[in-house]
Amino acid sequence: MGAGLEPGRRRTVSGNNSRMTVLALISDGFGAPGGIAQYNRDLMTALSQSSAVRDIVALPRFGQVGAPTPPKVTQRRPQPGRLSWVVNACEMALQLPFDILFCGHLNAAPLAALIARGRSKPLWLQVHGIEAWAKPGTAIRKATARAHLITAVSRHTRARLLSWCDIDPARVRVLPNTVDARFHVRAYPSELASRYGLVGRKVILTVGRLAAGEQYKGHDRIIGALADVRLNVPEAVYLVVGSGDDQLRLEAAAVAAGVRDHVIFAGQVAAEDLPDHFRLADVFAMPSTGEGFGIVFLEAAASGLPVIAGHRDGSADALADGVIGTLIDPGNRNELVTALIGALRAGRAGMPPDGVERFAFPNFATQVDALVRHHFH
Amino acid sequence: MRDHMAARGPDGAGAWYGEADRIGLGHRRLAIIDLTDNGHQPMQSADGRCTVTFNGEIYNYRELRRDLEAAGCVFQSQSDTEVLLHLYARQGVAMVRALRGMFAFALFDARERVTLLARDPYGIKPLYYSDDGWTCRFASQVKALLAGRKISHEPDPAGQVGFYLLGSVPEPFTSFRAIRALPAGCTLLIDRTGAGAPERYHAIAAAFERADLDAGGEANEYDKVTACRAALLDSVRAHLVADVPVGAFLSAGIDSGALVGLMRDAGAQRIETVTVGFDEFRGTAQDETGLAGEVAQLYGTRHTTRIVTRAEFEADLPEIVTAMDQPSIDGINTWFVSKAARELGLKVAISGLGGDELFGGYPSFRDIPRWVRAFAIPSQVPLLGAGVRRLGSVMTGRLGINPKAAGLLEYGGTYAGAYLLRRGLFMPWELARVLDPDTIRDGLARLQPLQLIGAALQPDAHDNFARVATLESALYMRNQLLRDTDWASMAHSLEVRAPLVDSVLLAHVAAAAGSARRKGKQVLAAAPSRPLPAAVTGRAKTGFTTPVETWMRAFVTDGDGRLRSTDIPWARDWSRVVGARFPATTHA
Repeated sequence: MGAGLEPGRRRTVSGNNSRMTVLALISDGFGAPGGIAQYNRDLMTALSQSSAVRDIVALPRFGQVGAPTPPKVTQRRPQPGRLSWVVNACEMALQLPFDILFCGHLNAAPLAALIARGRSKPLWLQVHGIEAWAKPGTAIRKATARAHLITAVSRHTRARLLSWCDIDPARVRVLPNTVDARFHVRAYPSELASRYGLVGRKVILTVGRLAAGEQYKGHDRIIGALADVRLNVPEAVYLVVGSGDDQLRLEAAAVAAGVRDHVIFAGQVAAEDLPDHFRLADVFAMPSTGEGFGIVFLEAAASGLPVIAGHRDGSADALADGVIGTLIDPGNRNELVTALIGALRAGRAGMPPDGVERFAFPNFATQVDALVRHHFH
Repeated sequence: MRDHMAARGPDGAGAWYGEADRIGLGHRRLAIIDLTDNGHQPMQSADGRCTVTFNGEIYNYRELRRDLEAAGCVFQSQSDTEVLLHLYARQGVAMVRALRGMFAFALFDARERVTLLARDPYGIKPLYYSDDGWTCRFASQVKALLAGRKISHEPDPAGQVGFYLLGSVPEPFTSFRAIRALPAGCTLLIDRTGAGAPERYHAIAAAFERADLDAGGEANEYDKVTACRAALLDSVRAHLVADVPVGAFLSAGIDSGALVGLMRDAGAQRIETVTVGFDEFRGTAQDETGLAGEVAQLYGTRHTTRIVTRAEFEADLPEIVTAMDQPSIDGINTWFVSKAARELGLKVAISGLGGDELFGGYPSFRDIPRWVRAFAIPSQVPLLGAGVRRLGSVMTGRLGINPKAAGLLEYGGTYAGAYLLRRGLFMPWELARVLDPDTIRDGLARLQPLQLIGAALQPDAHDNFARVATLESALYMRNQLLRDTDWASMAHSLEVRAPLVDSVLLAHVAAAAGSARRKGKQVLAAAPSRPLPAAVTGRAKTGFTTPVETWMRAFVTDGDGRLRSTDIPWARDWSRVVGARFPATTHA
């Protein structure tokens, strides 16, 4: 076992002009669904475009065998079992030569820190959102403090991490989600509108899981505001895309609020159908208090929708502090009602607002390259 | 943000934006060198590559300018600010090593797309920054950063604990988690990834470590003392560089008196000096006005004695707390002497600050090495120190003796521990009297007070005098005296210069540390060609006593408005008064 690296010291991994191999311990890789998988894929793709990186070996827990990967990226066979993933990660880390150990989830930080220390390699830890907000246990805290670089998806997540981790703030950077180019302004999907009975209606849209553990997203806040919104915009309707174990509770809330006939639960929508669902709507609203970043806001904005979000979490980053959409206090019902009425009356802008391009992939890739050079080269 | 600091620079204001408004620099000007508009800031290089906003003075700017002109640089102004631009273009970040002075600046390099932040070796000029992951903000004051309304007000437990442990917030911490001080003697680069880690280019400990502390012993002492005296004169001469009159604070002590004598030796013709006096001390040994007047007469200065009354203190207190940038238990005296100097029309005043740190003027130079010798071995016996402290802390309360005495065995065995005992306000085990348990736990874990103190001693000079001089300079003077001097003087638009706080002088005195240890301030007293009178050099050190302490006590009352028990040092009570006026300094 070699001595661990002293965290915080910029070091040359293998010479200033050499290119580096990144070993990536990730939960969700190529071929896996969800936001974290998307982030990991974007990051690997960006790394593959950096001239400072020779290659990337991904060790995912979930993913598809044979899923297409960008050049320079190799994805090993996914290991869905927690124990088998850990054993596999340890074996690979001992066998494979690498220069940077990337860890894609806070919960795996203790394992990653152990491997990094054992191999005397710098650790790059990625944190997404709510998992890094509350003070974790000692093992995760110690592992986090040993990271050479931590990237957080938003300023909010970074600040929350720094509230429990005594680490040099210069080693904690913000690397936001990036918006997929398939979200853009497109033709109105009349057939889909007819299917949902939305022709002639003003549509408020939320896209997100309806999980009992994620009630912070604020579906019930919109349901609670809908009656007042309809007093001013009678044709308003609320379209909820997503599924989960919280749906029954939300349906009951809509009944209690007297708006059940004006709330449509569309269920889970296939990824390829999502852009059309954004096009159906007149405003995207999710007054959440628990977003690490909220990539869905950018997808909506890129689709030409006005966007309403809460100002207490990472949503403020996704809305570029209000440049991209309207930030409200998610706990203030009047603010929500006013913002929804204003957006529905104003209608769709038709074009994505200024500021969305800040989160385009080329910017993301440039930032990844700068981080690699600054912290590891 | 910028105009929150209007008092720091009443003579002008400027702003510059670049990179499609993605970077902005602001400046408030107190015009001292090159009073024309040519000295306006932020200042840009002729080729447009670099833009700088600068606070402070570069005392060797004329020498640097001469060298730069010889190398082909063409200057547009007579200001020291422009020297920074040319020097950076030639030397990059390494340029800070060539600077003699007190400074904090930010320089944007459009070619490299980086911003350099830099702070002088001693940390005379403050510089705070905040990086939220998207935007970096910096300013000379914590309160100015907060005035921008973009920075979280979440308290930093390390800052809170640090204040109650030491009486001031130790850098790099501040009262707020989102704001950090750029440490003294450090540079920092901001690039597209954000604010990098501070890089140290000067450490006081290193100056002592580099010096050959006692080489040659007594045989060489005469030469070293002579060199030291020459270095003192050289520093005073350097600190007189200005296009406005430079005055001086004068007390009955050796430090300020010797500096006024050296100002005369350096060729200053018409010196304005000011002493603060108190009616309460009239006719007592604590009254400094008489002796100060004699010194003024000796050196032929135009002298003013300014009497401060309790009524004035009470009237000024709200302003004082407003001007206080971070909580501090000191600074009141500097407030009044600066106020007096400004009333005389002065923009610049010389201060004797730093003499005690450089020439061993504090009791700590005697006590700390003695404690370390006595307790080094017993403090290593497991649990003994903590046990004695637990028992002792009960006893000290009952016997009415200083509560720190209980910690001698636990803390006295190392320089860091002994220093905490000597300079500490509340001891770690006493913090529960002023802070809640969570703040204490988190604050101590973040602050790591003994490690923070110990870090100042690296690299070790292996000399007791040098160690204490380093600790006092790098901790007490830096975090307390210099910071207090900055806010208390700049609130009156007065620039205070401290020739005894000078990295060039430090190198000379460090080389003569053996002599400084043996002769103490006699080296300083004898430095002017016309030495200080025996009445000054032989005066018993009274400490920094003023009736301000008594006045402060009047503000320390319990809930019924009665004076609190006086069985503990006054500064502890005062810290609670100050702490209560700072929102981020939570009380239990």
